Amino acid sequence: MLRFVAQRLAQAAVIVAIVAVITFTLIHLAPGDPFSAVMDNPNVSEAVRQTLRVQYGLDRPLPEQFARYVSSLAHGDLGWSYSYERTVREVLGTALPNTLLLMGVALVGSFTLGILIALIQVARRGSVTDHALSGISLLLFSMPDFWFAILSLLAFTYWLPIFPVGGVVDPVMHEYLGLWGRIVDRLRHLALPAITLTVLASAAVARYQRAALLDVLPADYIRTARLKGLTERQILRRHALRNALLPIISLIGLSFPALLTGAFFVEKIFAYQGMGYAVVSAIGTRDYPLVMGGVIIGSIMVTLGSLLADLLYALADPRLRGR
Amino acid sequence: MPWQTQDFAADSGPTRYRESPLALGLRRILRKRSSRVALFVLGVIVLVGLLAPLVAPYNPAAQPDIVGLKDLPPSFAHPFGTDPYSRDVLSRVIYGARLSLMIGVLATIVSLTVGVAYGAISGYAGGILDAVMMRLLDACLSIPRLLLLIGVLVAWPNFSIGALVVFLGLTGWFGLSRIVRGQVLALKHAEFITAAQALGASRRRILWRHLLPNLVSPIVVAATLGVAHVIVLEAGLSYLGIGVPPPLASWGNIIHDGSDQGATLWWMALFPGLFMVLTVMTLNILAEAMSDAYERR
Amino acid sequence: MTAPLLSIRSLRTWFYTESGVARAVDGVSFDIGAGETLGIVGESGCGKSVTALSILRLIQPPGRIESGSVIEFEGKDIVTLGDEEIRDIRGNRISMIFQEPMSALNPVFTVGDQVAEVARVHAKMSRKDAWDRAVEMLALTGIPDADSRARQYPHQLSGGMRQRVLIAMALMMKPALVIADEPTTALDVTIQAQILDLLVDLQKKIGTSILMITHDLGVIAETASRVIVMYAGEVVEEADVDELFAKPHHPYTEGLMHSMPHIGHDQERLNVIPGTVPAPTEWPAGCRFRERCPYSWERCESEHPPLYQIGTSHVSRCHLAVEPERRNHPHPPVVVEAGVAAA
Repeated sequence: MLRFVAQRLAQAAVIVAIVAVITFTLIHLAPGDPFSAVMDNPNVSEAVRQTLRVQYGLDRPLPEQFARYVSSLAHGDLGWSYSYERTVREVLGTALPNTLLLMGVALVGSFTLGILIALIQVARRGSVTDHALSGISLLLFSMPDFWFAILSLLAFTYWLPIFPVGGVVDPVMHEYLGLWGRIVDRLRHLALPAITLTVLASAAVARYQRAALLDVLPADYIRTARLKGLTERQILRRHALRNALLPIISLIGLSFPALLTGAFFVEKIFAYQGMGYAVVSAIGTRDYPLVMGGVIIGSIMVTLGSLLADLLYALADPRLRGR
Repeated sequence: MPWQTQDFAADSGPTRYRESPLALGLRRILRKRSSRVALFVLGVIVLVGLLAPLVAPYNPAAQPDIVGLKDLPPSFAHPFGTDPYSRDVLSRVIYGARLSLMIGVLATIVSLTVGVAYGAISGYAGGILDAVMMRLLDACLSIPRLLLLIGVLVAWPNFSIGALVVFLGLTGWFGLSRIVRGQVLALKHAEFITAAQALGASRRRILWRHLLPNLVSPIVVAATLGVAHVIVLEAGLSYLGIGVPPPLASWGNIIHDGSDQGATLWWMALFPGLFMVLTVMTLNILAEAMSDAYERR
Repeated sequence: MTAPLLSIRSLRTWFYTESGVARAVDGVSFDIGAGETLGIVGESGCGKSVTALSILRLIQPPGRIESGSVIEFEGKDIVTLGDEEIRDIRGNRISMIFQEPMSALNPVFTVGDQVAEVARVHAKMSRKDAWDRAVEMLALTGIPDADSRARQYPHQLSGGMRQRVLIAMALMMKPALVIADEPTTALDVTIQAQILDLLVDLQKKIGTSILMITHDLGVIAETASRVIVMYAGEVVEEADVDELFAKPHHPYTEGLMHSMPHIGHDQERLNVIPGTVPAPTEWPAGCRFRERCPYSWERCESEHPPLYQIGTSHVSRCHLAVEPERRNHPHPPVVVEAGVAAA
């Protein structure tokens, strides 16, 4: 088991290394200079330009630039964001926890909701409920995340103003609220983005889980369970689900990329200051270091996510535990 | 004794007429009502896009009266309203269909080409090359597609639609190459088994005769889903401002134009989105029907 | 004679498929007595497994029990019981073991858990008590070191051991009847013998009846006291085991006996019954074995034979019972003549 963990960690490290290479290639593959927005901008101070020159070695040959790049990455230095006028690390550092919170809630929520829906669908196979839920899942699954977010923004903050319009916390009042008040404030601002992301993601989970359950149901051991005199519900919950959950664990790893991109859009639309919001604003200002920082962090998150999912799977499947 | 063995021809049972797997699959797909409806709806949308110049009531780029006609909600004259530049949204949505679909299809063709090639080479070569290529693939898969595209597109100040298509295509082949590689690997092993029977020249024939039929169905399914993904992705990029360059109309573009103000002009978000959802839904339904049909061999 | 444990009358289980109605079980009747081992023998497709599944109402759509009755010893008809009552019977008063021990156990639960589950469901035992009883049962089926084995997962056990686990599971509640559907077919020959011995042994210890379903006459010979031969969804012969082997009446039974290769006999080729079982969607008119039978004549085509009584407890569905002299005039079966023409 330990060997398995070590193996997967090594693999993850290799992947991150390759990601670094890819991002470096991207930076320099573009025609023209990605830093031209910074370098030619008269509003940017000379100090910033100098920092960039030093850090990225912009006048040096490519291999040397790459070496510098790698070494700065190794030191956790992601560059300077001129639009925020702080290091990329600082910007993303404050923004990341918000995104993690959002993604975490959405992950837990969507999987719970998705599994529940799948169970209902399978328990009432072929009924109107089953078909209706399938249709709704398909609809949500086919929706672009940003469109759904825009609609829910319109619906719940404009037409039916239930939730605050944006932000992570109330910009004015937050500091004056007591501990409980602050928690509630955060929750109110988290609610709509989180619900939006959760609902969208749970469609995919429900479809996947339903298929997994239907795959498991004809199995011989299900027939054995029936022979023992268990009710259909007990069979579904105890025997079928436990087996059908295994592929779902792989889905957790696979859903990280989608959750991340979904979070990006949701954050922009709801003005929720997470990593996605920062990166999207960097697009507008052509703040390239910040964008690349976001790409790297995002990739690391996805890699870690899939690593965790693999580990979880190995733990959950007794057939793999022996190794 | 009546039970001594007798010479007799084996009972072959009734013969069924041969049907190519393609025809059989097609029949199965069309049998489901949902597939027929989806095909019809998709067909209508494609047709509208193809015949855009004939169907659209106005010129999508025309800005007739930037003061008087801007930001109008839906009316008889403008069923989908007008945008901040007084352009008719319905016409733009129709032209948007044409553009978004075209981008989707072209980008998917790029993805298919690269994906099949990469997977086939990796699987056929085997050994270290295969291992390296797969690691590279894993790394590519670790970068969320949108992020990768943002990273690339932000670096290019003015890119053409062609470049957009190429980038979209180059970021979408990862999953398919895995499938192709799997098939090639399986075939390689099968090859060794039949090595005794295989002649030198027939190796290629076996590859052709066995590889392609097995690949057709996952490729078609992947292509259908791929088009759906690209449409959504391009819309997302256009919405963020780094997709289809203005003043061309794509579904994402229109939503972007309407979101510049704080309170979104709802008709600019609703209609392009509806068309997108319809298109993607039909593609998903067809992809599912196809994979169901081919799985039941 | 004491009242039978189970009384099946005119059972019909049909499957409604795209290609027609498959009458897998088409009018089957028999009794199972207390403490006896009844064997059902026949080739694949004759309906023996479907009969077994019907007894426990395990037939899933598109199949269903069309008509008939399965009366158990308390007089209730299983076919018409409610869901809760049927669940009360399953695993408790009638249980079943299958052919594939490989896949019949859930891979994510321990073996002990799965056996104990029976007691938790039916006797509402506590986890501990159920576990203890499960370990007892496992030991009874000859699994060494039962306590630690019970903590293992199915993939850690061999095929033979898994079958023993399934047997233990079936016997947990000391049922009145155990249905064994090809219990040894998927196992190695040496293990087969062990499992069969185990079944016979356990039967004596616990006193259950066994319904042994198999295509293997050897298994029948070893375990059964009475035998039913099934063909094409019907019972074609029923007799005590010794009588069946000594004096098979139905031509199908004859054919089965003759197709068994004997060690020590010089044989150049295997004897086979020519032709194949007809499709269950189109049982032929008259006698269903007619086309493969070496003795058939016109009556066999026009008249579907009933079960004729030919001995005290021996019945056979063959017109030879009333026209025995036809046995002296064998001919190549119809299917052979047709097959040669179609070659």
